Amino acid sequence: MLVLSRKLEQSLNVGDDITITVLGIEGDRVKLGIEAPRSVTVLRQEIYQQVRSANHAAAAHGEGPSVHNVKAAIRRRDPMPAV
Amino acid sequence: MTMTVPNPTDNQTATTTDSIIFPDGLVGCQDWKNFILMTDDGDEELPVAILQSLDDASISLMVTDPRFLEPSFAPKLSAQDYADLGLDDGGQTVMYCTLSTADGWLTANLLGPLVLNPLTRRGKQIVVVDSVFSTRYRVAPLGSSGV
Repeated sequence: MLVLSRKLEQSLNVGDDITITVLGIEGDRVKLGIEAPRSVTVLRQEIYQQVRSANHAAAAHGEGPSVHNVKAAIRRRDPMPAV
Repeated sequence: MTMTVPNPTDNQTATTTDSIIFPDGLVGCQDWKNFILMTDDGDEELPVAILQSLDDASISLMVTDPRFLEPSFAPKLSAQDYADLGLDDGGQTVMYCTLSTADGWLTANLLGPLVLNPLTRRGKQIVVVDSVFSTRYRVAPLGSSGV
């Protein structure tokens, strides 16, 4: 991991198309501004990891229930779904 | 492109296949771009389909309509999302969410739905950052044997 220190309002350039700027520092929270092309998705790491994991888990459904069984489970569903 | 082919597991029903492209892949899976969506005909009331990767035969995603699972599901797309899909702001989209299993439950990823432009069949996985729903939204319990 490359380690750099920046002060308020200083920036980093990542490649030619991405700029990250420290916009604010308040206690233990750092506010960052990111300029990046539309093709680059910027996400909080914990969110990125959750969605990536979910994609991989979903792709491995071959070991899980069939479409037929999934439909049957949905049909039996309690009308008050859990989040 | 839409093709109707006989369902390989059941000669009675027909399966429709539509090609779908995610130009930027999926989140954390940038290479998963070219898919076909395989839907059993005649079961629009219970829309469960298979999104089969054309790039890697081992990758297939079971999907359903998140609005079918949760009628209040209405994530707001950004102007960038609409632009990426080739739609005007507020344009008509088709949404899917992937299905998986966790702790004996059938779960759906309502945090990262797949959104499509129905005319061009181009899609994008959006992350609903302020969602009240998670990647493991519980749909229904599965039987003790997992089926």
